[in-house]
Amino acid sequence: MRKPAELYACVYAKEFPAQALLRLRVELRDKPCVVMEGEPPLQSVCSCNAKARKLGAAQGMTPVEIDTLPSVVVLARSRPEEETAKATLLECAGNFSPRVEDRSNDYVFVCVVDIAGTETLFGSPAMLAKCLLERVRALGVMASVAVSDNFHTALCVARARSSRMDVTVIASGNANKVLSSLPLSVLDISEEHAETFSLWGVHTLGMLAELPEPALISRIGQVGKRLRQLARGEMPHLFLPVEPKFVLEERMELDTPVELLESLLFCVHAMLEQLIVRATTRVFALASVTTTLSLEGETTHIRTVRPALPTNDRKLWIKLLQLDLEAHPPSAAIISLAITAEPGSTGKVQLGLFSPQLPEAARLDVTLARIRAIVGEDCVGRAVLKDTHQVEGFRMEPFTVPAVSISEAEPFPQRAAMRQLRPAESILVTLREKRPESFFFRQKRYRAEHVYGPWLTSGDWWNPMLWSLQQWDLIAHSEGGELLSCCLTHDLTQGGWQMVGLYD
Amino acid sequence: MTESYIELHAASAFSFLEGASQPEELIKRAVELEMPAMALLDRNGVYGSAQLHTSDRRNGVQAHIGAEVAVSSFGPRLTPPAWLPHQHIAEPARLPLLCESLTGYQNLCQLITRFKMRERTKLEGAATWDDLEQYASGLVCLTGGEEGPLAAALVHGGEEAGRDTVERLVRIFGRDNVYVEAQRHYEREEEWRNQAAIRIARSLNLPVLATNGVRYATAYDREVLDLFTAVRHHTELDQAGRLLALNSQRHLRRAQSMAQLFRDVPRAVENTVELSSRLQFRLDDLGYEFPLYPVPDGETMDSFLKKRVAEGVVRRYGPKNNPGLLEKAKKQVEHELALIARLGFAGYFLIVWDIVQFCKRNDILAQGRGSAANSAVCYALEITAIDPVGMELLFERFLSDARGNSEKKEPPDIDIDLPSEDKREQAIQYVYQRYGELGAAMTANVITYRGKSAAREVGKALGFDQESLGRLSSLVSQWEWRGKTDTMAHSFHHAGFDVKHPRIAKYLELCMRIQSLPRHIGQHSGGMVICQRQLNCVVPLERASMPGRTVVQWDKEDCADLGIIKVDLLGLGMMAVLKDCLELIPQHYGDKVDLAQLPEDDEVYRVLQKADTVGMFQVESRAQMASLPRNYPTKFYDLVVQVAIIRPGPIVGKMMHPYMRRRQKREEVTYPHPSLEPVLKRTLGVPLFQEQLLRMAMTVANFSGAEADELRRAVGMRRSWERMKDLEVKLRAGMTVNGFDMKTQDNIVENISSFALYGFPESHAASFALIAYASAYFKVKYLAAFTAAILNNQPMGFYSAAVLVKDAQRHGLRVKPIDVQLSDWPCTIEHETDHSLSLRMGLRYAKGLRRQAAEALVTSRNHGGSFHSAEDLPLRVPFLNRKELTLLARIGALNKLDAIEHRRDALWQMDRAGKMEGPLLRQSSEWLHEDSRTLPLRQMSTEERLVADYAGTGLTVDRHPMHHRRAELRSLGVLSAQELKVCRDGQFVRAAGCIIARQRPGTAKGFIFLSMEDETGIANVVITPDLYEDEENRKLITRSKFLMVEGPLQNQDGVIHVKAVRLLALSDGALELSSHDFH
Repeated sequence: MRKPAELYACVYAKEFPAQALLRLRVELRDKPCVVMEGEPPLQSVCSCNAKARKLGAAQGMTPVEIDTLPSVVVLARSRPEEETAKATLLECAGNFSPRVEDRSNDYVFVCVVDIAGTETLFGSPAMLAKCLLERVRALGVMASVAVSDNFHTALCVARARSSRMDVTVIASGNANKVLSSLPLSVLDISEEHAETFSLWGVHTLGMLAELPEPALISRIGQVGKRLRQLARGEMPHLFLPVEPKFVLEERMELDTPVELLESLLFCVHAMLEQLIVRATTRVFALASVTTTLSLEGETTHIRTVRPALPTNDRKLWIKLLQLDLEAHPPSAAIISLAITAEPGSTGKVQLGLFSPQLPEAARLDVTLARIRAIVGEDCVGRAVLKDTHQVEGFRMEPFTVPAVSISEAEPFPQRAAMRQLRPAESILVTLREKRPESFFFRQKRYRAEHVYGPWLTSGDWWNPMLWSLQQWDLIAHSEGGELLSCCLTHDLTQGGWQMVGLYD
Repeated sequence: MTESYIELHAASAFSFLEGASQPEELIKRAVELEMPAMALLDRNGVYGSAQLHTSDRRNGVQAHIGAEVAVSSFGPRLTPPAWLPHQHIAEPARLPLLCESLTGYQNLCQLITRFKMRERTKLEGAATWDDLEQYASGLVCLTGGEEGPLAAALVHGGEEAGRDTVERLVRIFGRDNVYVEAQRHYEREEEWRNQAAIRIARSLNLPVLATNGVRYATAYDREVLDLFTAVRHHTELDQAGRLLALNSQRHLRRAQSMAQLFRDVPRAVENTVELSSRLQFRLDDLGYEFPLYPVPDGETMDSFLKKRVAEGVVRRYGPKNNPGLLEKAKKQVEHELALIARLGFAGYFLIVWDIVQFCKRNDILAQGRGSAANSAVCYALEITAIDPVGMELLFERFLSDARGNSEKKEPPDIDIDLPSEDKREQAIQYVYQRYGELGAAMTANVITYRGKSAAREVGKALGFDQESLGRLSSLVSQWEWRGKTDTMAHSFHHAGFDVKHPRIAKYLELCMRIQSLPRHIGQHSGGMVICQRQLNCVVPLERASMPGRTVVQWDKEDCADLGIIKVDLLGLGMMAVLKDCLELIPQHYGDKVDLAQLPEDDEVYRVLQKADTVGMFQVESRAQMASLPRNYPTKFYDLVVQVAIIRPGPIVGKMMHPYMRRRQKREEVTYPHPSLEPVLKRTLGVPLFQEQLLRMAMTVANFSGAEADELRRAVGMRRSWERMKDLEVKLRAGMTVNGFDMKTQDNIVENISSFALYGFPESHAASFALIAYASAYFKVKYLAAFTAAILNNQPMGFYSAAVLVKDAQRHGLRVKPIDVQLSDWPCTIEHETDHSLSLRMGLRYAKGLRRQAAEALVTSRNHGGSFHSAEDLPLRVPFLNRKELTLLARIGALNKLDAIEHRRDALWQMDRAGKMEGPLLRQSSEWLHEDSRTLPLRQMSTEERLVADYAGTGLTVDRHPMHHRRAELRSLGVLSAQELKVCRDGQFVRAAGCIIARQRPGTAKGFIFLSMEDETGIANVVITPDLYEDEENRKLITRSKFLMVEGPLQNQDGVIHVKAVRLLALSDGALELSSHDFH
């Protein structure tokens, strides 16, 4: 059987981070622009346009170095915009053939379109390529297009001509000739091999193609064979068309703004069902559900619910979403809603025959959600002490089953018990010789009898929120003779006295 | 009543990362607080005690010595309880010990040495109860603060366990020598422990002692301590949590404040004064004894020394055939020996003699430098090679009655230069073996925070990422001279940091604050201390990270301050070159040479006068080259001056130019005062040497020998600004008495103080000048031998091997490339058919070729003859890996193999030969063999060959890269280095070349000096600070390999510079050239 005829068109757009941004910023296209990535103050240039390059901008430069160049526009890299641009380009390529392979990397957009058999639809390959390039340009992206009956040849040529942004059609059987003058850098060559070739004085694909194959393989192994085939335009390729991404997302524009949660949940119900169906067909369960509500006044209200285990239990989901939305109601009427879900593996727990029955995970989730709705998000879970000298040195973390059983804790020495007041209560204190003498607490005046302290703590001096506290332990009597053992703090940075704890 | 309090538990930054202030800072603060005394107890050592002692002598605060000693038997020190999250690691509790008497100090030193040396590597170590019992006498023990054993016992086992611990201490140290310590830092837990401790003290009838467990001088320094804590635990401040201090109370406190704090604990504060008065030990009476040298029966050290010297005098002065000189020498040694005997230093001289004898026996070239060269005894004992009698050097600079009899016996200082690292190690091991592990040790080298290390560690602690830290530390300026923009803040700005951001501002501030604080201790490269009795009674010893080495806990200056005898065994690359020359010259030229008897040779001086000095010791730097034609040396003493004059001291003191002008007879020889004529005559009225400054002080201000000596020590040492100031006052008073006017006084004081950092003794200059002359002599007379020797001892000196090779070629030496058929590991000398000598580059210059592989290659060649083919080489030397074969092919070392036509040919064949099939297949299968005649690769172009040469060997023996571009450059009007020499002064020229050295000397006010080499020689370029300020130029100057400059030519007295006004980059292809940059 004859090998089916192959024909590929490759679209190559370099400096993609810059192109993706300038695509929608027409006014900047005539100016030198660089794109920075990284967290300030450590950004560096990741891409730039031709005008900026002419001025001396290059990848890896710091903002300070860019400052030295005259009138360069600095833009921040935007991954979402790149994603959108890429999706648009792929879609554009998809208009010419359903088979599109994406070969992009972090800084370059490359896709190869399988255009075999499209002559009747789009005319000659040259016409198709021209049309493709025009369409790409119309999208605001400058690229080069190369057509060849060899996938890799098309890619190499498009890459080599990326600066000229034109169309090259390589006639069948002509690949070798076109490739021979191209530099080795159009191939993805490992550093080691690049060094070897450079030592050999082999700088172009033509020189590489001329090397005897067995001799090459005996020197650098099978890679040699592959590179030589690439250089001769003879490398076969297994085409890997792009598959649309699996996204669990449903959107709904509401006819009229909705204020009642019930009516909203009605919609949610239907959307959730769709998502669950789609997830189930791929043997997934929903791990988390994010509700994005667009509100009147152009604000959005986003909530994410994540139960302990991924589940496809619709009722449970509805309950959790309802509790969450009740706890965090939107501030205005809802215009549209979108629900996205993260797929997770369907959870199955193998229980032992003799192990005690655990509470049903779903029920616990609902209960916890209820509690959270009442006491607030940050007040559910377990308190964990932090490694700090700070007084309020603890944080909350979700309940988890400890991985290992905790061994017997060391016996606590006898200590006085103390009730910590949360939040601490501000009080008025009268001092004598810099020591508390009396204070007002909960509408009562107390006179200190014994004063211990001050105990001083301070820290985080390298941070803007440095702290410095003075603590006093007091035994005090109210005027009515009531005894109070308590702990007062005096904030030395902010000023002010607080009652932080009562000793039993 | 005025309260009095003495801090008896303070730690300095010498507790390495557990203290935040220098001992001087603590003393300074103590003075401010009117504290009459203070005790320094650093972790496991007395590292800071010497500095504290020097500082206390100046400030009148009495320094008590002690240490916090880790004792493992007490169990781990207090850490937060397990239920509190923390990152504390288990460390042994530390017991504070104070030295009451000399015995106590000696015991402390022995105790620390005992447990430090018990470790096999450089570790903290910990003592046991047995150790404490053995060394308890003379020591007073405190129960410690939170790091002490009592706190740990109280928390772990309650009051009962606490009492047991204190009782054990009482059993070890005796009832009178245990104080229960109470510290109050306003911490709850601590107060609970204090109450328990006070009850225990009462029940056992022990005194309570108030201390503040000081870790820094002022509360503000707590930040530095926290920072150090993070560094010590390899964590960030944000993550350090409970490792950090709870508050900032561990600073030195006023007596009043301590009395207030401890008003409820009777006598706690008064006891500090009482205990302080008990502590009688001072570092002055260290109990150090000068070492004895074992002599045969019936001899004393003095008589033995006398005999050795007498033999030496005959040996040294005999060949000179100068009876007058011999007589003078005999008189001089007699005078010296009498003084040595009087001061009891004979043992020291014999010890050094013994080391030199060892070197001689083991074929190690050794030469003394420093003030020892002033001594005829040292010359006779062959410790030095300079004849002090012939040169009329001042012996008193080395040793005098005044020095020996001053309050402490200060030993003379002898430094010995040895050829190389291995040879030096051999000599060091000999000293260890001779005086025992506890009798000799290296002096310490305290590694302190500097710009780069501070930026890196503070950045890490503040949580900055690796990448920006790397960028920052590469930007922290390393030039010796710092312009106004070379501040740390500027570097921060350039690294992309916003210095106004609070965290970054803090970063910057902390970097500045920790500058010069000690980080850890290392070993000094060559300073050794030797002691008669056990050295571990004088100062604790510990292991160095290098196996087989021990170090004392004091650095060189501390040892000198405390009068401990020190011998410096230093490695000097040029000594190795001379040593190699001494072997190569008889072998290849048939001449016998003796370093001590080198003839004065006009040809050598002519070369020196022309500043044609690449590769010559001490006279090859840019500044030296610029001054040689002006100073025009014609005799050895001119060279002595030459070596001494291009130093920051004379330059800052504005002595260099007057001397030069006088030398050129452009200025009249005058003296600051007529009385100084005899002192300054030799140097044309300009003081250049330390010896002269001494004599000046003695002449103009009637300084006694001891005072002049104090002055010398002050100017020669780093930590002497304050002492210098006191002496200045004295000096001026003396001059006023002698009727000197103010201007003369100012002039003389400036002359003296400019030596503060870089003073150079005449004898030292003479020792160096001798080596300089020898190197010049060998280079001029025996170029092949000298070049081979210097290439075999790289890296050393001012220029890279590439420059040395080009220079040798310009002087007519034929240098041949590396060839596997002929090259050895070192560069060798070959005899040509026309009887001339040429140099063969050695395999050591093939970058990346392992020495064993090269040696295997040479052995195989020596046994089995030349290699036949590309396949023969890897077959016979299987030790060569593929990378090495490729390297050899690339640099053309295989070109002489059969069937190899050029480098690419060799590469192609080697790539196959290095990847052979197994031996079984190879023998039988003809079909696996390639047709070797089909060679598909093209020959390398000239440029490719150059690139390969520089990448593979760092140099080329072929034509200079600039040669290949000469036609192009000529069309641009660029002149060669040779052509520049005939240009007139002021002519606007254009020059280009490869940058071989960049220099920004501290004394040149920000000017940068570049040396640019082309095929005809070396051209000099001066860059003004203004030009360097420009960002573009800065990049060009610091990064370019090839440069084109334009500007007016300056030709003054044959010294030629191009004063750059414009800089341009020359594209340099892919050449990897390295410049030696001096910062």
